[in-house]
Amino acid sequence: MILVKNLKRYYGTGETAVKALKGVSFEIKKGEFVAIMGASGSGKTTLLRILALLDDATEGEYTIRGLEVSSLPEAERSYYRLTQVGYVFQDYALINEMSAAENVYILSMMEGKSRKESYEIALEALDKVGLKEKHNRIPDELSGGEKQRVAIARAIAKKPDILFADEPCANLDTNNSKQVLDVFKELNEKYGQTIVMVTHELWHTEYVDRVITFEDGNLVSDEKKRNR
Amino acid sequence: MINDIRVGALIAYFSVKRGNKKTLMFIVFVLSLIFMNLVFLPSMIGGMTVLFTGMMQDYPYGDIVIEPSGDNTYINNADSVLQKVRAVEGVRAATKRLDAGASIEHKQKVVGATITGLLPTEEYDVSQYPYIISEGDFLGELSRDEIIIGAMIAGTGFGSEIYDNLGEVRPGSLVDVTYSNGVKRTYKVKGIMEGSFELVDLNALVNYKEIEDVYGLEESKATSVVVRVDKQGSEDQVKDKIREAGVNEQIFTWADKSETLIKQAMQSMGAIDTMSKFVSLIVGAALVLIIIYINVLNRKKEIGILKAVGITPRSIVLSYAFLSTFYVSLGIFAGLILYFSLMFYFQVNPVVFYETMEIRPQIDYMLLIESIVTMLTLSVIAGILPAWSVSKESILKAIWSR
Repeated sequence: MILVKNLKRYYGTGETAVKALKGVSFEIKKGEFVAIMGASGSGKTTLLRILALLDDATEGEYTIRGLEVSSLPEAERSYYRLTQVGYVFQDYALINEMSAAENVYILSMMEGKSRKESYEIALEALDKVGLKEKHNRIPDELSGGEKQRVAIARAIAKKPDILFADEPCANLDTNNSKQVLDVFKELNEKYGQTIVMVTHELWHTEYVDRVITFEDGNLVSDEKKRNR
Repeated sequence: MINDIRVGALIAYFSVKRGNKKTLMFIVFVLSLIFMNLVFLPSMIGGMTVLFTGMMQDYPYGDIVIEPSGDNTYINNADSVLQKVRAVEGVRAATKRLDAGASIEHKQKVVGATITGLLPTEEYDVSQYPYIISEGDFLGELSRDEIIIGAMIAGTGFGSEIYDNLGEVRPGSLVDVTYSNGVKRTYKVKGIMEGSFELVDLNALVNYKEIEDVYGLEESKATSVVVRVDKQGSEDQVKDKIREAGVNEQIFTWADKSETLIKQAMQSMGAIDTMSKFVSLIVGAALVLIIIYINVLNRKKEIGILKAVGITPRSIVLSYAFLSTFYVSLGIFAGLILYFSLMFYFQVNPVVFYETMEIRPQIDYMLLIESIVTMLTLSVIAGILPAWSVSKESILKAIWSR
């Protein structure tokens, strides 16, 4: 599903260049729930941003379902982000002036669906994360966990090939973190959603199939937690 | 593209729906003032123009004035000209006049003035002279040795203190008039005219026959033939018809005359008007840009998020264009309410100029349309530019750098 070969990301040039990724290679299969772990500055978030087409690699190949996506022009990358990739931000990244449903359905509208159809899709997605009843609430009226679940609903509403999550529980307490991880687990197990999640909490790995660990811009371990 | 428009409109709608209403009101208020600034001064200048040109029509020039051709001092056979003019369709009334330079003396005070010889009964249909007699009476058909003096030179009207005057001349007073050819006549003042207009109040009127006698003119000579038309706005057509009727003298409409006479004054006011419009536009454009730019900066992260989740940059830019157009449309609407309220106020309470001249601002619908179009165009540009600039930034920079 995802094939990464010798991926590098340098910030700056020459002697002073910061080497965030020093040439990593790995493969992620469809339906896998993968955790990317590592200390701060290890390159895990940089990798996730490149995989989600939010940033560019300096060098290397990156294909999704055989399509080389790293060299796509911006218009196609935008379309890819809209239709193929879901991204859950650490700080929820919801639009404050939109209700939970509006935050979700605007993407379906962008895909050309009618407002009614888009709303139904949004409600379905919110239902999956247990927030259908709060679809009219704006982000300020939701708890941190609820906001993150809205962000997940936004990411999964378009039924993406891959769902990326950048430390989705970093701002949540244990209870809310569990709720979010339960949602991911259900999506993965029930709907076969491929999920790549960056985290630094060891207990989160209980939910995943595989753990890839980074250190100083290098992939240092790739460990299967359970077989699917 | 349709999806971009739909989503852009939706983002703008949410922004207005759940945005800060106090900020919105403030923005709209400021924009309404900018719009007012664009249209109000030109309306005042328009009011002044109407007032001055109205005076030109009501006193020296009528709607159309015929003057001697070439270097001639007089129109020869003015009666024949009048006959041709009166036969032209669209002409309501016409009369001939004779202007002469003279000095007027009263109790050792002397002032220079233009004395107009006119046919009093015909003036009732052509000018306002008969209706502005503030003291005494207007001239009659048989008036001889009688004169109407302008209030400023009589020393009774507003402005007397500015100009040389005869010192409280009243109806019944005797004045000595020395014409440019040296002929001296003594006239009894029959009336004082007050038109609140220097071209009127610094002049004097006598019967046409007086000037004819003084200058020994024969065969109905005139320095001008003044024409009024049936329908305002038809001056140019009537002018052409008079020409076609065989009148070979110089023919001017009041607008032609206004152009030359008050052109300078209007040019100065026009320059102020243009500068004011230019400054207003620059300030307006800058303000709209600043408002939208601050808005965009405050939403830089949101723009990054929208891009990150797949909203196209075009939708984002369009949303700001819609938002900006919405702000400016509300500003224009509020500005129009303010403008028409002020127009109504000044129709009831005109600006008093020269103590007696009342200036009522004129509503120029073309100017309103121009100003609205200008403001809306600016709003689109002001909305698009900063949003376009931010939408071109990388997603990460937009989301994480402020």
